[in-house]
Amino acid sequence: MADTKYLLYLSLLVLLLSGCQEQQNTPEKNTADTEKVYRHSIDGKPTSLDPIKASSVYSNLLVVNIFDTLYSYQYLARPFQLKPNLATTMPQISDDGLTYTISIKKGVKFHPHPAFKDGVGREIVAADFIYSIKRSFDPKNRASGAWLWQNKIIGLDDWKQAGADYDKDVEGLKSLDDHTIQISLLQPYPQLIYSLAMGFAAITPREVVESLGAEFGSKPIGSGPFILDQFNSEAAYLLRNPDFRQEPLDLTAEGYSAARHEGYGLEALADRSPPFLDRLEVHFINESSSRWQSFTKGSEIHYTTVPKDKQNTVLLRKDPIELHPKITSEYHHSYGMEAGFVYHGFNMADPVFGYHPDAAQNNKNKALRCAIRSAHDWQQKNRAFYFGLGTIFPGIIPPAVPEYDADLSTASIEKDLMAAKKMLADNGWQTQNLPEFEYHVTGSVLQKQFFEQMRGFLNQVGYPNQKIKYHPYPSFGNFNQAIKNREAPFFFLGWTLDYPDAENTLQLFYGPNQTPGSNNFNYQNPAFDALFEQSSTMLPSAQRTALYRQMNQMVIDDCVVISGLSRKKIHLWHKNIITFPDREIVGGFHLRFVDVQ
Amino acid sequence: MINEPAHSRLNLSLWQQSRQHFMKDRWGILGLLIVVLYLLVVIGVWFGLWGTEWSAISDDFNQGPSLQHWFGTNAIGQDIAERGIYATQVAFEVGVVVTVFAIFLGLLIGALAGFFNDTWIDGVLLWLMGVIDAIPFYLLVAAVAFAMQGHAWAMHLAMIAVFWTTTARLIRAEVIKLKQLAFVEAATAIGFNPVHLLFRHIIPNTNHLIIIQATIVFISAIKTEVILSFLGLGIKEGISWGLMIAEATNDIQAGYFNNFLAASLLLFILVIGFNLFSDAIQDALDPKLQKNHEKK
Repeated sequence: MADTKYLLYLSLLVLLLSGCQEQQNTPEKNTADTEKVYRHSIDGKPTSLDPIKASSVYSNLLVVNIFDTLYSYQYLARPFQLKPNLATTMPQISDDGLTYTISIKKGVKFHPHPAFKDGVGREIVAADFIYSIKRSFDPKNRASGAWLWQNKIIGLDDWKQAGADYDKDVEGLKSLDDHTIQISLLQPYPQLIYSLAMGFAAITPREVVESLGAEFGSKPIGSGPFILDQFNSEAAYLLRNPDFRQEPLDLTAEGYSAARHEGYGLEALADRSPPFLDRLEVHFINESSSRWQSFTKGSEIHYTTVPKDKQNTVLLRKDPIELHPKITSEYHHSYGMEAGFVYHGFNMADPVFGYHPDAAQNNKNKALRCAIRSAHDWQQKNRAFYFGLGTIFPGIIPPAVPEYDADLSTASIEKDLMAAKKMLADNGWQTQNLPEFEYHVTGSVLQKQFFEQMRGFLNQVGYPNQKIKYHPYPSFGNFNQAIKNREAPFFFLGWTLDYPDAENTLQLFYGPNQTPGSNNFNYQNPAFDALFEQSSTMLPSAQRTALYRQMNQMVIDDCVVISGLSRKKIHLWHKNIITFPDREIVGGFHLRFVDVQ
Repeated sequence: MINEPAHSRLNLSLWQQSRQHFMKDRWGILGLLIVVLYLLVVIGVWFGLWGTEWSAISDDFNQGPSLQHWFGTNAIGQDIAERGIYATQVAFEVGVVVTVFAIFLGLLIGALAGFFNDTWIDGVLLWLMGVIDAIPFYLLVAAVAFAMQGHAWAMHLAMIAVFWTTTARLIRAEVIKLKQLAFVEAATAIGFNPVHLLFRHIIPNTNHLIIIQATIVFISAIKTEVILSFLGLGIKEGISWGLMIAEATNDIQAGYFNNFLAASLLLFILVIGFNLFSDAIQDALDPKLQKNHEKK
């Protein structure tokens, strides 16, 4: 009996010790010898994979891999360069800039679905593109991307007003034949081509959308390089589209430069047709510590950006950036300033902080917003959360676009407590009558610290703690929805540029784009709108840049936003993965070029 | 441990005997000292003597312990000692509120169930307790806290909704026992009405149970608050040891342990102190335990 007991103890000990074996810090290559699996990670979860709702970088990353867009960006070229994707060539544009003629590739098929005849994906035709754009204008869909084409395409807004009947034609959207699209504009719209590379313009099959209804957002069917297999709150699992068109990768045409891209193994991809993976997994890991653990464990995710709390162990030097040898020996890395920025915004439709029908109160509210902006310390935020690597700039035209003004006054990004207190006092704001300040954000430890820092800034101008409320949401989707529903009077967000043109950030303040459109601030300034409309038809020029800068100044003067900071992101990925990751300008196209060694 | 002869206590009331017994329990005294120390900290926070700078930020990120910052600073330059001290007040506030209401509810429902033993009232109340107890504790607390998100008292209500049942069961059993005793039969024979009987004669005789149970509920409430705050379902605007430990999940990754150590230590000492105090009270107030000690 005693022997049996000792044997049992021994067995338990062996079991326990077997659980303590050292984890191999080499990524799992495949789940099967023949299968290539890449596990990507992002720090948020998409709420919908329906292209017309792809308003977040998280949604967009998946949408551009499940669906096709007419255009995309060259894989490696920087600054970003457009290239044809489903289109055969760049568009033919009429001399007056009003008519775009686009040919699409023949023989490209949608993924299989029972809604198609015999369940086999049918060929994409020009009418599919027209249907997909119309969907953004159907009021029933509550689409997020209509702002791109609002008052731009002839007849499209009228089509919406007339009841959004998909069987009725839109004058400005024509299929000249099955493989030729013609877009006619009300006025020149130089950014149109950029919009056709965005997830919002991805091409969807009408029969599947109508068959699935609202479920289309979780069971999308497109024609992209990957087919969605599963999608839940933790991850999206995608399989290679075996019927994806054969287009051998031309590294030179994609912007490969030995100086920048050598050493990543990209050369091995040359002349091969993507996608190279059998399975793509995109894991949604909000908590940075969990993401880091998963990445360093070796057998889980293969890619991460360096989280804030790991920067001091990853970075050896920050100017110029140099990574710790232990990191560089184990992982590939790349870094660069994001094409976007983070900012705090006020909802101007909220009468407490925004517009007020009473002129005197309206002025008081503006003073309150400006005082809050003056209390905000970007330098401290940069050091606390971005390891001092971020680039702080005034206004809403970030350094990543050519229209950036390096000589603009930095007064709006400088902390000035005296000025803030004076502004409050001069406008009758005292501790007793300050309104409740609600800080809306996605709930996480990091975001809570952002809130705590903001509260600290506000405390310094006399805002009492009991009037500063933390309002977390369980996911970015819920938070975003609250902003679209105008429930968040103050929010902290990041904006990743959809295209390399300052118009893309200025449109965030254009009146007609108010929520549920992209103008989350619900900023309404007729002078701004007039300048925006004037500039929107202009090709890049010094005159257009001057108009952009005027608009930038208006937003600064009205204290609508506390902006901004462009982060410097450090990407890390396992050495057996061939990739050059990108989360900028409608990021996600690069995933089709990922390979596993 | 107690060598005093039983006859020397004959002239003392039960409360005096209990106090005498408690004062001889060294571990209990240590527990009491810890509780009193924490209470002083809380009173100081209430009166604004310390812990006032818990939300203040600075440029001194992740500093180690020093004379200026006893427990160092966190990732946004907040003084961890100030936050830990302020969080003590938050913990006590939750503990007191939950204890008062949960004990009151448990006492009332338990007394009613016990007094009307074997009637439909007892049946319904027992069923209610059974239903609440059947739901996993933290699941129920989290569900109530989540359902009432945004409400300042959501967490308190969630805990009260859960914590009263144990007290109710104990009180019910005690009341059933007390109902059989001669003094209750005598009071019934004199003609006291049931309400008078219950509230004037029976419930006062459950005081020892209430005191013991209150100490247990108090410390359970504090521990639950820490867990809920850690999970993001508890304290939102203020600070709590749970929130500090949650912050520490990121700090530890970066090699900073100040938040974790400070919050854990403060919670650990309080829980140990209160458990020692609670055990000592239980020993002192339970005549059976006292007799056992005396026999030894």
